[in-house]
Amino acid sequence: MEKQVNISLFEVVGNPLCVASDDGQKVYERLAEAIRGGGNITLSFKNISTLTSAFLNAAIGQLYGNFSEEKIRTALKVEDVAQDDLALLNRVIKTAKEYFHDRGRFDQAYREELGDDGDDE
Amino acid sequence: MNLTLGDVRHVQWGFAALLRLYSQAESCRFEDIAIDLSGTSWFDADMCAAFGALLYRLTENLNTVSLVNIRPGVEKILSKNGFLCHYGREQIVDCWRTTIPYQRFDVKDDRYFAGYIEEQFIHRAEIPHMSTGLLKKFRESIFEIFSNAVLHSGTEQGIFSCGQFFPKRNRLDFAVADLGIGIPQKVREYLKRDIPAVEAIQWATLGRNTTKNGAVPGGLGLKLLQEFIDLNGGSIQIVSDVGYWQRANRTTSINPLDYPFPGTVVTIEINTADTNSYALVSELSAADIF
Repeated sequence: MEKQVNISLFEVVGNPLCVASDDGQKVYERLAEAIRGGGNITLSFKNISTLTSAFLNAAIGQLYGNFSEEKIRTALKVEDVAQDDLALLNRVIKTAKEYFHDRGRFDQAYREELGDDGDDE
Repeated sequence: MNLTLGDVRHVQWGFAALLRLYSQAESCRFEDIAIDLSGTSWFDADMCAAFGALLYRLTENLNTVSLVNIRPGVEKILSKNGFLCHYGREQIVDCWRTTIPYQRFDVKDDRYFAGYIEEQFIHRAEIPHMSTGLLKKFRESIFEIFSNAVLHSGTEQGIFSCGQFFPKRNRLDFAVADLGIGIPQKVREYLKRDIPAVEAIQWATLGRNTTKNGAVPGGLGLKLLQEFIDLNGGSIQIVSDVGYWQRANRTTSINPLDYPFPGTVVTIEINTADTNSYALVSELSAADIF
């Protein structure tokens, strides 16, 4: 039977400000261990007042480099998230998927913008 | 060594004035450097972040820096926000409480910085009333700027911040400066191309672009900041190396500077009378977010 794991951002970070990448790393480590352990994880955003992309990139975006989308979708759910915070999380996840899917495309977009075919590298 | 400084406003020529002064002294060691401010009739308080960073670099070279012949109006504002305390003056009480103090933080001081922001923007009755959505967006933006400095600058000399609000104009200015590697160098190393500083800053501000190549993704912070400023009707400036980048009225302008800033400065000006709700047009579901 899969184990239910509840993780509170407030409890891990210690205050309502989820802004620092280092704090995001602490959350990531708990999430990664719980996913590896086969847990059903609920990540609570209760009492969180401020989030940054830096924090969410470290805490959640980083998961997409180590686990499949399917695995994350099955194992993880979030609760008590304000709509605007959910919008930020949504963008972080989309960016993370693209980042890990094809790093080269990020660079290619800029080369194209410069009108450069990139053959000189 | 005696140096002079004119007016300092948070526009391109204001940064250029500070950088011209710094370029004259950056190679000095064990010198007495007197900066004559008799020609300075105006000093935008948020520019203390950039000025303080440059002076910190000079004192780190074991120079003794003094600020002399300061006009009363300028001395008052730089004393109120605590800037002159770093150069031997007393701090004076800010009766109107419109200053946001000048502070230097280490990169590991993120919680201390968070406390400073809470104290200055949340728990002060004098701060102009802002809608809940605007205040949240503003705080997020400041933390994004600080996080960018922590994550990307590699600075060992700290992060400098300062601000000011203008109740009658409904404007709030805030700046964060670091003495790190700078955006252009970081982008050049990542792209393995020698591109001009202004182009490198432009690259860094485009959505999805990031110089990160490790386990943690990036590339959203500056994009989010621009989106907020566009909606709010404020402005944002980035100065790094010899690049000057500005976004205001949904328009970006870039210009080269004559002298480099040895790190990065990001300043934002927000419209505190903004009545945008910042509510989302369509609802997202937490159930299918992943």
